Amino acid sequence: MIEINRKLCIYCNTCTGVCPVMANRLREVVVEHDPEKCVDCGTCVKACPVAAITLRAGKKNL
Amino acid sequence: MAYDFDVIVAGCGPAGAMAAKAAAQAGCSVAAFDKRKELGAPVRCGEGIGLHWMDELGSKLRDKAISAEISGSVLVSPDWKNKVTIRNAETKGVVVDRKVFDKDLAMDAGRAGAQIFAHSEVVGVLKDGNMVAGVKAFVDGKPQEFRAKAVIAADGGESTIARLAGLNTVSTLYDTDFGVEYEMVNVECEDLIEVYFSVADAPRGYVWIFPKGKDVANVGVGIGGMQSPNAKHYLDRWIKAHPERLGKAQTVAIKGGLIPVGAPMTEGAVGEGIIVAGTAAHQVDPIHGGGICLAMEAGKLAGEVAAKNALAGTTDRAHLLEYARIYEKGPALKLLKRLRMRKVLEKLSDDDLNAIFSHLDDKDIDNLLKSNFAAVVGKMGGLLMSRPGLVKTISALA
Ligand SMILES: Cc1cc2nc3c(=O)[nH]c(=O)nc-3n(C[C@H](O)[C@H](O)[C@H](O)COP(=O)(O)OP(=O)(O)OC[C@H]3O[C@@H](n4cnc5c(N)ncnc54)[C@H](O)[C@@H]3O)c2cc1C
Ligand code: SF4
Ligand code: SF4
Repeated sequence: MIEINRKLCIYCNTCTGVCPVMANRLREVVVEHDPEKCVDCGTCVKACPVAAITLRAGKKNL
Repeated sequence: MAYDFDVIVAGCGPAGAMAAKAAAQAGCSVAAFDKRKELGAPVRCGEGIGLHWMDELGSKLRDKAISAEISGSVLVSPDWKNKVTIRNAETKGVVVDRKVFDKDLAMDAGRAGAQIFAHSEVVGVLKDGNMVAGVKAFVDGKPQEFRAKAVIAADGGESTIARLAGLNTVSTLYDTDFGVEYEMVNVECEDLIEVYFSVADAPRGYVWIFPKGKDVANVGVGIGGMQSPNAKHYLDRWIKAHPERLGKAQTVAIKGGLIPVGAPMTEGAVGEGIIVAGTAAHQVDPIHGGGICLAMEAGKLAGEVAAKNALAGTTDRAHLLEYARIYEKGPALKLLKRLRMRKVLEKLSDDDLNAIFSHLDDKDIDNLLKSNFAAVVGKMGGLLMSRPGLVKTISALA
């Protein structure tokens, strides 16, 4: 799973678009992340234009 | 089977609004859903468009939708030693206010008879067997199902609706640009769009200043998806490095987003009962990342094809593929040419770019960017002599 720093996020919709499994969805002005879907591929971490996303050890990669 | 609408449009940006309008004008009952409370906001765009498009699309711009009129563009070499100014009929443009522009397009769709559902997110796709048969959307905060003969997915770079329908519209990191942009005041501007090429400052992309008024501009950077660390890093660094121009600039809005810059989707953008249009189908200029008018063009086409087939009761993939066939013969040809050019441009170093800028004049660079290579070949001799390494790269264009 990933962690989104809400203080940095500019709701630009990038992480929602690049995620191969649609684990990120932009709801109004909050990105909802679904750790159940996330496969830890890191694409959105790389893509976020303001570096608001970091990979975090979730249950999948423990 | 009963249907609530002939055609449902999911996402009401430039692509969706044009699709809804075209389908309504063709005599269909149409619903267009958008999750935004206010169409057009928040803005995620540089907002620059070429005016020639308005004639081609049969659209009119309301004065209120225009922030600034543009006569041409200035292209700046990495070393800032050469500036090329291009002013001609094709570079005439405007920087729009998308908060007004997008809403105007949606109003036109509404005037043509489409029902617009704002603040209504599409969260699912309904299917009869393998045939898309409508959407599930939150309207007035409640999930509801709406059935339709055809669905047009026009939800932008996120492109979740096509993916929910089983189409693969993910843009790879390599074929995606990431952009961030500040709307800034105290930036002196002429009526020119400024584009700064530099591998060091904007790898696989460029820095732009798009005027929105005498002293207001969108200042942004786009970088290729494989680049590190992130777009904001490059933009902040660039702004800091140019105090003479931006020292007094103040940011009043921060915008950003992804731009698919690979091949436009054609056949892949069509499924059983569904057509994908606009940035959701990567229909974006691979070099400058502009996609507003391309989205409008594709949306209109999608609306026409979906409407015709919805009325005839033939919204299976085989019939909807007419959209791909028309797109392949027109817009896609141009975009694929531009994609080849992008792939050459991204191989050039800053030294290569500086050499090109110093050898070619305004007209040559204009021709180059328009992919009129034949017109420039004669001038290339001296340039290629000075930089033999360029021969291999540039020959890919032939
Ligand atoms: C930083 C940046 C700068 C850019 N600068 C320029 C430029 O200067 N000129 C230019 O021509 N292009 C530019 N572009 C590209 C341009 O913004 C897009 O190509 C254009 O907006 C595409 O239009 P569209 O209708 O396909 O998608 P969008 O404009 O993204 O519209 C999609 C709509 O769908 C809605 N939607 C999404 N998901 C759902 C859902 N699940 N349910 C309901 N509604 C949904 C959204 O709310 C939105 O209104 C830029 C892009 C970026 C990121
Ligand atoms: S890490 Fe990969 S799977 Fe997880 S949210 Fe980001 S893009 Fe999606
Ligand atoms: S990519 Fe980054 S800034 Fe954009 S919506 Fe996702 S977390 Fe927010």
